[in-house]
Amino acid sequence: MSKKKYYVKRKKTCKFTAEGIEYIDYKDLDLIRQYVPVSGKILPRRVSGTNPIYQRKLTRAIKRARLMALLPFLGD
Amino acid sequence: MPLYEIGIILNAQLDEQEREGFLGELKELLAKEGATIAKEDVWGKRTLAYEIKHMREGYYIFWQYEAPGTAVRPLETKLKLSDQVLRFLHLNLDRETQRAKKMARVRAEQKAAKKAHKASKAEAAAAAAAAGE
Repeated sequence: MSKKKYYVKRKKTCKFTAEGIEYIDYKDLDLIRQYVPVSGKILPRRVSGTNPIYQRKLTRAIKRARLMALLPFLGD
Repeated sequence: MPLYEIGIILNAQLDEQEREGFLGELKELLAKEGATIAKEDVWGKRTLAYEIKHMREGYYIFWQYEAPGTAVRPLETKLKLSDQVLRFLHLNLDRETQRAKKMARVRAEQKAAKKAHKASKAEAAAAAAAAGE
């Protein structure tokens, strides 16, 4: 029998709900980069814990940033 | 008049004079259309995340301006026709923030309606219990 592994589950929170950010600006790269790993993909909700409403806004902001060549379409 | 935001990426190889000249033209056009520029944000030269027109660098400019909707079309036409503009992005900021406000209001209303519904249900149950006794 394999030993059961125990780990502490971290509670995921939605940053935008917590901080009351209403409009996600595509120019706010410090904020947006937290949701874009090096691969350039958009971090899924199941990983980041973002609320659906804000995830959609975040997605829009990231796509706008890509259009303006602030973020890559394809990462490393 | 709605508040618009425009982000422009200019060719970074332009010298300052050419750049100022072009931006001056844009401002003139905006002024003619009855726009007032509320905020200017110049990021300057910046490495692009990927190549556009075989260029690795761009000169970033962001403006916020208030203008009647009729100003949008001529400005975009000019930007599209100019070969010094690598890319631009035009947003209606009022629409962006109003949508969020509207959704917040709708959600609050739904919550209130749910609460009221629950309360009325509880009341009915209490009344039924009173009648049963």
